[in-house]
Amino acid sequence: MKKQFTLTLVIALMTVYQGMAQEWLVPDDQKGLTNPSEYNLSNVKKGKDLYMKNCKSCHGDPGKHNGLPLVPPPPDMVSEQMQKNTDGELFFKITKGRGGMPQFETTISEDDRWRLINFIRNFDPSHEQLLVDAPPQKAKLLASVNEVEKKVEIFAEVDDKNGSFVKLPNAAVKISAKKAFGNLPIGEVLTNAEGRAEYQIPETLIGDESGMVNIVVQLDENYVTDNVVLDAAKVGQPKPQPRLIKKEILWSTNENVQSWLLLSYLGAVGAAWAAIGYVVFQIFKIWRVGKE
Amino acid sequence: MEKKSRRSFMKTLGVSIGAAGVVGGSSILNSCTQVESTSGDTITLLTSSGELVKVEKSQLKPADIPSLSENQKRGREGLPGKKFVMVIDLSKCRNARQCMKACQNHHQLRPEQHHINVLEMQDAENTAPYYMPKPCQHCDNPPCTKVCPVNATFKREDGIVLIDNERCIGCRFCIAACPYSARVFNWFEPRDADKYKGVTYNIEANVPQKKGTISKCLFSADRLRDGKLPSCVSACPNGVYWFGDQNEDAVTNGTTHETTSFSELIKTNAGYTLMPDLGTKPRVYYLPPKDRAFPFQGEIEQHHS
Amino acid sequence: MEKEKSPEESRKLLDKITFDLTRSIVKRDELTNFWYFILIMFALVGLWGWGIQVRDGLGVTGMRDYVSWGMYIANFVFFVAVSLIGFLISSALHLLKIKWSKVISRVAEQVAIAGVALAGIIIVMDMGRPDRFLNVFLHGRFASPIIWDVTVVTTYLTISVLLFYLPLLPDLALLRDKGSDDIPQWKRNVYRILALGWKGNAEQYKLMAHAMRILMILIVPVGLSIHTVTSWLFAATLRSGWDTTIFGPYFVAGAFVAGVAAVIIVMYMYRVRYGLKDYFEDYHFNMMGKLFVLVCLVYLYFNINEFFVPGYKMKTAESIHLSNLFTGKFSTMFWATQLFGLFLPITLMVNKFFRKPLPITIISVFVLIASWFKRYIIVIPTLEHPFLPVQNVPENYQHYAPTSIETMITVFSFMAAILIITILAKMFPVIAIWEYAEEKGISREIISEPKN
Repeated sequence: MKKQFTLTLVIALMTVYQGMAQEWLVPDDQKGLTNPSEYNLSNVKKGKDLYMKNCKSCHGDPGKHNGLPLVPPPPDMVSEQMQKNTDGELFFKITKGRGGMPQFETTISEDDRWRLINFIRNFDPSHEQLLVDAPPQKAKLLASVNEVEKKVEIFAEVDDKNGSFVKLPNAAVKISAKKAFGNLPIGEVLTNAEGRAEYQIPETLIGDESGMVNIVVQLDENYVTDNVVLDAAKVGQPKPQPRLIKKEILWSTNENVQSWLLLSYLGAVGAAWAAIGYVVFQIFKIWRVGKE
Repeated sequence: MEKKSRRSFMKTLGVSIGAAGVVGGSSILNSCTQVESTSGDTITLLTSSGELVKVEKSQLKPADIPSLSENQKRGREGLPGKKFVMVIDLSKCRNARQCMKACQNHHQLRPEQHHINVLEMQDAENTAPYYMPKPCQHCDNPPCTKVCPVNATFKREDGIVLIDNERCIGCRFCIAACPYSARVFNWFEPRDADKYKGVTYNIEANVPQKKGTISKCLFSADRLRDGKLPSCVSACPNGVYWFGDQNEDAVTNGTTHETTSFSELIKTNAGYTLMPDLGTKPRVYYLPPKDRAFPFQGEIEQHHS
Repeated sequence: MEKEKSPEESRKLLDKITFDLTRSIVKRDELTNFWYFILIMFALVGLWGWGIQVRDGLGVTGMRDYVSWGMYIANFVFFVAVSLIGFLISSALHLLKIKWSKVISRVAEQVAIAGVALAGIIIVMDMGRPDRFLNVFLHGRFASPIIWDVTVVTTYLTISVLLFYLPLLPDLALLRDKGSDDIPQWKRNVYRILALGWKGNAEQYKLMAHAMRILMILIVPVGLSIHTVTSWLFAATLRSGWDTTIFGPYFVAGAFVAGVAAVIIVMYMYRVRYGLKDYFEDYHFNMMGKLFVLVCLVYLYFNINEFFVPGYKMKTAESIHLSNLFTGKFSTMFWATQLFGLFLPITLMVNKFFRKPLPITIISVFVLIASWFKRYIIVIPTLEHPFLPVQNVPENYQHYAPTSIETMITVFSFMAAILIITILAKMFPVIAIWEYAEEKGISREIISEPKN
C-alpha cells in the first residue's frame, strides 16, 4: 500500500517536472520527417478547421496570444517557440502529447495531423502566407421573430468602407437559442442578395415553461457586430417539467412521507405506549388498593 | 459601536464588488464575505476561492445574501423549473485535478476532503485504465436522503441533493448508505475555520463547513443561483464537463462554453450512469473513455484493497 | 410448587430465604468498595475521553470518511444484542410456561436494562453533534431507520424497567416490613416509597399478574423489533456484506447467544459472591447450557446462510468482502469468532460436564468476547470496501484502527453497564423472594404478614 502511494507520488512529481521542463526531446528519426501534405490553400483551410476544433481552446487565436494561462503556457502559433520546430518535431508532439498537451494519435488521422502542420506553417515568416484573414468588417444585424409562422427574419448590412452601410449578401448567419448556461446552436442560413434571410424554427425547439425562447442571431467572425439577442418569443415547445418530488415517496422529507409507513409507525408506537400507559395505570391501581 | 453594527450588517448581507475590474475582474469577488473590518478605506474580504483580498470600501455594495433562515428556506426550494444534469466525458480527462482544486477552494475543504474525486479506474483485469472524476451523483432515488433521521439532507425539485449543516446531527448514516462514497465528514475543525468565523451559513455552498457534520458535492448550487456553472465545470482545462438543465435538453461545456443537446450528446456517445443496477438513478452521466486524449499515466491501484 | 407447609415452618424458611437473598444488599465490605472504585474510575476516564472527543471532534477516533462507523457502532450492536435476553428469559420462556427460568428472570432484566441503557448512551457518543440530539425529536424523519431505532430502544427500556419493577413490589414490601436492621436505613426508605403501599392482598396480586402478562406479551414484538431495526441500519444500505435479507433474524439469533452468555456470567458471579449456591443451582446452569446450545445452533444456521450463499456465488463486491473475512485481513478475527462463539460452545456443551457452573461460565466468557468481535467484523470490513476505489486520501483513511480515545469510551460503556448491574444487585434482591418462597410452598399471607 505504502509503496503504491509513494509510486503515485513519484509519478505525480514526474508529471509536474515534465510539465516544467523546457526541453521536449524528439527522437532524431522523427525530427527529420518532411510533411507529405502539400502546402496549399485547401490543406491550410482544412488545417484551420482542425485547429479551431482541437487546439484553439488552449493555444488561442493565432497571433492574439490569448492561450490558456497554463504552466507551461501553450505557445501561440506565430511565436518563435512554435515555428522553430521542424515539421517532424511538430508532428511528433501533436501525435504523442505530453503533460497538459493531449495526444492526438487516436483522435486525428495522420493526414489531418500533417494538414494541421500546414496550417501552423501559414504563420511561419519564411513561408508565403496562403490564408490571410481579412480584417473583420463592421456590420449591422437586424432580426425579428415571427411568432405566428415561427420564423426568424434577418437583415444584415455591412460597412462599405465609406461610412455608409449597404446590404450584406451571402453571409452566414448563425441562429442559437439561449439556454441556462450558453447558446445552443440550432441552425445557419445565408443572406440573399437583398441581405435578408429567413430561418424556420424547428418544431422541436424547447423553450421555457411557457415555450418562450430567446433567439440569438450572429454573423461569423469575419464581421464585427453586436449579437442580436431577441426578446423572448413564444416559438418553442413549453419545457417539460416532470415532477421529481412526488407525494408518498420514501426518499423525500416528512411532508411526502408514505402514508402506509406513517400509519404503521404511529400505529405501532401508539399501541405499544398505550399498553405501557395501561400497565402504569395498573400500578396506580395497586397503589390505590394499598391505601385503602 | 458604529463599527460593530456596521460589521454585523456586512456579515449578514455579505458584500460584493460594485465597480468592475478591481482585482482581475469582479467575478472572483462576487461572492466574497467580509472577514475583518480594517481601519481606513480598505477592507479585507474572503473570496469564494478562499483567498483574502483587500478592497476599497467605496467599491462595496451590499449583495443579495439573505439571512440564515431565508437562506435555508430558498435552499430547500431550489431553482424553479430546472433539473440539473452533468455529463462527464471520460475520454477528455487527463487527471489535471483543476476541478478538485477549485472545488476544495470553493467549499472550504481540507486537502483530504473531496466533493469531487478523480479516480483511477479499471473495470476488469484486462480492460484499459482511465481517469474518472466522481462528484455526488445527485440520484433521483437517493439512498442517502432516504435514511437521514432529521431531514437534514434532502433532494430539491431541481434535482440537487443538499445538506443543511445547521441541522445535521453527524450520525453518518448517509455515508453508510451512499454507494458512490460521495460524502465526506468534518472529523476536525474545517480548513481555515477562523477565517470563516461569523460568516453566515450558506446552505447552497455548505460554507462555512461545520465540525461534526456531513458535506458533499452540491453542484455549486450557490453559483447556479447566479447563473454560473459549478466550480469544477468552470475550472476544467480539458473540456471534460458538460452541465445544464435537462428540462430544456441543453448542456454547456465548462471549458469551451459550447452548448449542445443533452440527449444528442448522450445518444451519440453512448453515455451511461454509474452502477445503474443499484437503482439510484444518477443525474451524472458519463461518456465512455474511448479515444482518450491523454495517455493514462497513473499506477492503477488494486481496487478495494 | 411444593406442598403447603405449616405456618411455623413457613416463617422459618422465609426468614432463611430472605436472609440469603438480602445478603447482596447488606454486604458492604472492602471488596465491594474496591469494585465500585474500579468501575467508577474507568468510567470516569472514559467520560473524560468523551470530553476530548466533543472538544476536538470525531477526528480523535480512528474513523474516517470510508470507515465512518467504527467500534462505537459495533459496541452499540453488541449492547442491543445483550439486552435482548430480557425478552427471551422473562417473557418468551414464561409465556411458554417454563418454570426453571423464573429464578433467572431478575438477572435477565438487570442485564437487559444495563444493555439497552448503554446502547442508547453509546449512540449519542457516536454522534458528530451530540449537542443537537434534540433534533431527533424536533425534526425526526419517520422514514429513517434511526428514528425507528430510537423509538424502539426507548420503548424497550421502559418495558424492561417495568418488567423489573412490577415483580419487585412484593419484595419491596417484604423488605420494608421484615428487612433486617443490617439494611441501611436509606435503602429501607427507598423500599418504603417504591413499595407503593403493597399489602399483598389478592387484588394487588391480581393486578400485578394482569400487568405482567400484558408486559410479557408486549415485549415480544418490541424485543424482536429492537434488534431487527438495529440490523436494518445495515441492511437498509446497498453495501456488500450488509445488503442481505436475513440480517433481522441473523441479528436476533446472535443476540440470544450473547445474552445467554452474559446472564450465565452474572448468575455465576452472584452465586459465588453472595453465596447463592442453593438458589442458582447446578440445575439452572444445566438448563441454561441446554438453552445455550439451542440458540447457538439457530445462530449457526443463520451464519451458514449468511456466508455460504454469497460465498457460493462470489459476486464481485461480495467476493472482495468475503475473501477478506475468510482468508484476508480479518480472517483471524472471523475464524476465532466462529470457533469460540459457535463451534466450541456447541460441541462442548452437548456434554453434561461443560454445563456445570464453572465450565459453562468460562465458555460464556469466551462466547461473550467472541460476540463482541463478531459485531466488529459485521461493521468494519464492509465499510473498508466500498464499490468505488479509495484514492487520494491519506493512509489512515484506507484502514480503520480504533484509537485510545475510542477504546477509553468503549471501556466506559462496559464499566457503566457493569455499574448498573452492580447497583441493581446491591439495591434489590437478585431473585424474587416472594416468587421463590411461593415455589417452596409458603403462602402469600405469610409472605405479606408484618414483622412479628
